[in-house]
Amino acid sequence: MLASVVSATLLGVEGHLVTVEVHVSPGLPSYTVVGLPDTAVRESRERVRAAVLSSGLVFPQHRITVNLAPGAVRKHGAGLDLAVALGILVATDALPADVLEGTAVLGELGLDGTVRGVPGMLALVDSLARRGVERVIVPASDAAEAALVHGVHVRAAEHLGALRDCCKGEAPWPDWDPLPAPRPDEDDDVDLGEVRGLPWARRALEAAAAGGHHLLFSGPPGAGKTMLARRLATILPAPDPAEALEVTRIHSAAGHAPVGGLARRRPFRAPHHTASVPALVGGGSGRPTPGEVTLAHRGALFLDELGEFHPGALDALRQPLEERAVRIARQAVSVTFPADFQLVACTNPCPCGLGPPWCGCSELQRARYRRRLSAPLLDRFDLRVAVRPPEPGAPTGESSAVVRERVAAAFARQADRYRHRAWCRNAHVPAGALSEMVPLHGDAAEAWLTECDVRRLTGRGAARVRRVARTLADLDDVAEVAAAHVALASMLREDVP
Amino acid sequence: MSAPGRAALRDDHVAAVALAGLDSLGARRLRVLVDHFGTPSRALRAVEQRRARAVLATTFGPNHRHLLDPLCARWAAEVDVGTTGALLEARGAHVWLDGEPEFPIGEPVPELPVCLLAEGDRPAALHAPRVAIVGTRSATPHGLADARELAGTLVDAGVTVVSGLALGIDGAAHAGAVAAGGCTVGVVATGLDVEYPRRHRTLYRDVRAHGLVLGETGYGIGPVPWRFPVRNRIIAALADIVVVVEATLTGGARITAEHAVRYDRAVFAVPGSRRNAASAGTNALIADGAYPLTEWSDVLVALGMTPGSRRAAPARVAPEGDGRRVLDALGGEPASPEQLASRTGLGPEVVALTVAVLERTGWVTWSQGLVWPQ
Repeated sequence: MLASVVSATLLGVEGHLVTVEVHVSPGLPSYTVVGLPDTAVRESRERVRAAVLSSGLVFPQHRITVNLAPGAVRKHGAGLDLAVALGILVATDALPADVLEGTAVLGELGLDGTVRGVPGMLALVDSLARRGVERVIVPASDAAEAALVHGVHVRAAEHLGALRDCCKGEAPWPDWDPLPAPRPDEDDDVDLGEVRGLPWARRALEAAAAGGHHLLFSGPPGAGKTMLARRLATILPAPDPAEALEVTRIHSAAGHAPVGGLARRRPFRAPHHTASVPALVGGGSGRPTPGEVTLAHRGALFLDELGEFHPGALDALRQPLEERAVRIARQAVSVTFPADFQLVACTNPCPCGLGPPWCGCSELQRARYRRRLSAPLLDRFDLRVAVRPPEPGAPTGESSAVVRERVAAAFARQADRYRHRAWCRNAHVPAGALSEMVPLHGDAAEAWLTECDVRRLTGRGAARVRRVARTLADLDDVAEVAAAHVALASMLREDVP
Repeated sequence: MSAPGRAALRDDHVAAVALAGLDSLGARRLRVLVDHFGTPSRALRAVEQRRARAVLATTFGPNHRHLLDPLCARWAAEVDVGTTGALLEARGAHVWLDGEPEFPIGEPVPELPVCLLAEGDRPAALHAPRVAIVGTRSATPHGLADARELAGTLVDAGVTVVSGLALGIDGAAHAGAVAAGGCTVGVVATGLDVEYPRRHRTLYRDVRAHGLVLGETGYGIGPVPWRFPVRNRIIAALADIVVVVEATLTGGARITAEHAVRYDRAVFAVPGSRRNAASAGTNALIADGAYPLTEWSDVLVALGMTPGSRRAAPARVAPEGDGRRVLDALGGEPASPEQLASRTGLGPEVVALTVAVLERTGWVTWSQGLVWPQ
């Protein structure tokens, strides 16, 4: 009278395998769920009972105990309904026990027995696949998403009653609808070719895209900072298949169902400056949810008007910027969200926006404005560029496609150089490995020492100049960093705002 | 501790400083009190006994008349000769009253301060010719370099540099004098026990070591906006010549220049580009009749001194090739690297490398996102 069905629940952006054990024994009719269920899981009792009865099946008038193992992980949402229902059917011999062998079951139940979708299907199925599950039964509406995971046999379920027939081989498994076609992205109709002038800032944007460097634009309103920064998405090369699965999985877990298959472009997130700390880095009360830094994983996080963000929210970015992950600790759980993003930000140099030496703000106003951006945060930008309005009649530059090609070539150079390393971008080379990975010879070494001396660079600043110089050399497709690369790297790290 | 060459303090000295340390009792009211009661000591007693009300009534406009009674009551309660005397002794301050032979402002000028107090290791700074170098707080790197150079040149000739210890040009002038080992006097609008702006804490220490910090305000008075323009007249009165290095159209440096004209001091202004907002004030001064200052030695000539041989400029090799092109593209004015790239047709890397080389050899500086020719 015991049945056990494999299912999964979301914890952060990762799925966790859950074994649903159903025990039906003689005694006074009762129905208990144990094993750290949340409210939605506890309410599954009523849904499962109604769904079983609505499907023309018999709900046992016995003592029913449902255990969700492992007991230490808190289970969320209604995605375990279907597993519980099938467990009860198996435990009461309405289904043979062997049909669910090696099969995981995911899905929410309606009172009429309909099987409904579950958010984060990709993350759930991916985690099950990694635990060796070969077959999954998922809601028909989510089947296409689940099928994105390689090596898992997906079966769709539309209704509990029909599902029982399919399991017993009395009916064919239903087909499922393909993923919705991708909507034309709003970024598709912007192109770097539309931007006039700003050769310096374009250069910085290209270097940021190629090396994964954090980038800060500072300049007066209307200079083209935002216009340029938004076009970063158009020059980032497409993610490789593993990255695409990772990105799609995170977005699926955050409730954004994939469209048209795995992500084909890197995420570009642009939260408004009123964003709170949990909205930015993740967290929230109860179930920790991923924040913008996690949604920007393997892509870019764009913060326009950096100075207008809440100072607490900005300082909360420091740890993810350094560790490329966010650890959210709550009383019951502690989750780690991946947060390997590059930060692109825009700011005005002072309240009037003009910046020295034309600015009309008082020293006090400027100092107060500067204080909004803490020095440790500013220090984390490898590239800091003052953007000035282009001179009238400045020519337009290269198109995104041309730049993207150079960036992709730089990606390939880096991937080759760092193939046996834990990192793959110039921006991520640890300071200790710099002299080995980015050697400087002759003029370049001398130029680097001079820059350190003239600009009074800190150790960290000097290391950042070196990384950017490496990226500039990669963009030029040369093996050795030249003095000019070092000089430009140092110039692209201005003392702004 | 008693400073070298310091005259003993009399009751009048202490009384004047005690009165000058009262909130809202500025230079004009102190002058009215002392003129009416005869000496600072008598004025002090009048304030203590609240007899000064009628005398001071004329110094309050109709909008502020309601403040007169509460202020008189507060002053009577707060004025404290004992503490002031002890502070003056402990800090080794110099105090001079108007009319004494040692009073630093030799000739009588309008709005003469009643008393001046000073602290520092080199009171002899006041016995040399004095040149004020003033200017805007939001100066460009050009202006800062000019102020530093001019101050260095002047102290080399034995001149004392007077300025206001403010950010920007003032600070650069003091720093230049200190770096050249010369004498400098910082005229402040706060009490001498207050260091404002706080960013200049080290500079205050250096100025005390190389000259004096001087003011007309008693101890404990913090930065109050109206006291700064009032202080500027002391800078003008102390100096034989006033040099304005960079000034905005409305800033305090122009007020100093106007005082200097009224006190019959020569005013020099360093001309600048019309594109530079920080040169608008100096260019306007030149239009109004100030001498345009292009050679530092002109100041020494105007003081009646013979300018010594110019210090040999550090030898530097005239750049060629790209360096020459970048310098020509600058044309003596600051430019962004983007402008340099478009004017010379050189690529970003080449411009960056050329600027780095020029900076190393002292031809340009790179600051505030602009390349500045030196």
